[in-house]
Amino acid sequence: MSTILLWLLTFSCLLFLPSLTIGIIRKTKARLQNRVGAPLWQHLFDTIKLLRKSETVSENSSWILRVNTVINISIMITLAFLTPWLSFKPATSADDLFLLIYLFAAIRFFAILSSLDPGSAFGAFGASREATLSVLVEPAIILALSAVALSAHTSNLSLVFALTANTPISQAPLWLLAGAGLFLSSLVELSRMPVDDPTTHLELTMVHEAMMLENSGPNLALLEFSSALRLVVLYGLSGQCFLHALHCIWPFASAAGILLSISIIFALAVVTSLIETVSVRLKWTRAPEFVAYGLTMSLLALLVALVTGVSS
Amino acid sequence: MLGLAETLATAAAIFGIFMSGCRHVRSAIYLYAVQTALVASIAFVYSASEHTGPALNISLAVVLAKAVGIPFFLGWVVKRLDVRTDSGAFLPVPLSMHVSIALFATSYYLASSLDGAAGTFSAAAGATASISLVFTGLLFMMTRRLAISQIIGFLTMENGIYLLGLHETRGMPVIVEMGVLLDVLAAVMIAGVIVFRIKKNFKHIDVTRLTGLNEQ
Repeated sequence: MSTILLWLLTFSCLLFLPSLTIGIIRKTKARLQNRVGAPLWQHLFDTIKLLRKSETVSENSSWILRVNTVINISIMITLAFLTPWLSFKPATSADDLFLLIYLFAAIRFFAILSSLDPGSAFGAFGASREATLSVLVEPAIILALSAVALSAHTSNLSLVFALTANTPISQAPLWLLAGAGLFLSSLVELSRMPVDDPTTHLELTMVHEAMMLENSGPNLALLEFSSALRLVVLYGLSGQCFLHALHCIWPFASAAGILLSISIIFALAVVTSLIETVSVRLKWTRAPEFVAYGLTMSLLALLVALVTGVSS
Repeated sequence: MLGLAETLATAAAIFGIFMSGCRHVRSAIYLYAVQTALVASIAFVYSASEHTGPALNISLAVVLAKAVGIPFFLGWVVKRLDVRTDSGAFLPVPLSMHVSIALFATSYYLASSLDGAAGTFSAAAGATASISLVFTGLLFMMTRRLAISQIIGFLTMENGIYLLGLHETRGMPVIVEMGVLLDVLAAVMIAGVIVFRIKKNFKHIDVTRLTGLNEQ
């Protein structure tokens, strides 16, 4: 298939997958709770509605609050083009592991600045928690990605995540552990259930939502889209790890990879809604424990990478 | 490349590390069962490759007794005693998991200095996994509160020692395996009974609070 066609496919995934994935999470959660739930595309409708609304900005806020949205969405779109979160996305040259990690950190930095800017107590509360969580979760993400990078002997993620023919089956545990580490840490990174409840109405317990309280109208729409895009990119990245483990056992064709890499994001979304149905939000003091499990998976992946690297 | 037995041994060690991160006693028991089933399958792999003795029978007996029987018995004990979670005593639970990963790395260095295990990585991997299981069991016993966790930790250590023996001798004689199996079964039964007695006398099974004498 020609590169232009693949870019078009990637671009349409970038536009529509975020809303659809959020829709799937909400719909599955509603069905599991015996509710009918909102339509699958409700997130997209909300975004369009918000884009048409007028905006209210606190008079105490400065230009940082407005600029944050633009920075957030532009870095996120750059990330979506760089990160190999879909197996059919054509390779780009600048997708170094550490560049991606620090671009994610840059998004978080500006989000924290903008939530401190209007001087709202709830925003500052959320910012403080977000900063704590990101300090905890960053090592897990770096370790998981560097484990797979170590086994591929390069830090260029396009090469690391390229599906090569006849990968040895002994690579499967490495990919599984790295994928599990990435998935657990992305639950924290995206403020999903065991650490933060995305549907809470109590500002005191919010992490991610508390930081967006001061945004409204088109600003809010762009932020919502950016965080949904971050969700699919991170789920896609951990999904690619699971697909690699599958590829070690059963080498599938690249055409099947297109279908598989989209459906694995949906599968992870369904897993998320299952977790959010059966579990409760952890006490804030217990959140580091949950992060520690993600870190354990990443550490084990690194150990396996070192071990298999020694033997080969 | 690792051989099949070494891969299974490493998987058993990894499940041991997961077990050391469990707060729930019941899930720790399940993970112990998985780990034991992996160890038993290694016994099968070794004896099948060496053509010594009735391989399938022995590993089936180990699976039935240690990976099914003991977890059932411990599950029953847990149900009768009505205990659910075991918060760590000296180390927080996730931290003890990280310590056992560090001990896994340590056991690699210990294993590479063993006779017969030195040289290639593949030869050291089985020994690494078994020493790591011993460490994990020891850490589990040291950092947990409940007496039932002490039993699980002891059984994990026993798995490690059994695995080391298997790995160094490439399949033990049937009579030795049977003897080990019988010893473990008797030990678990006696320990279970003792836990019941402790619960009856002290009204709890928290080993950190078992400091004074209690006469009835």
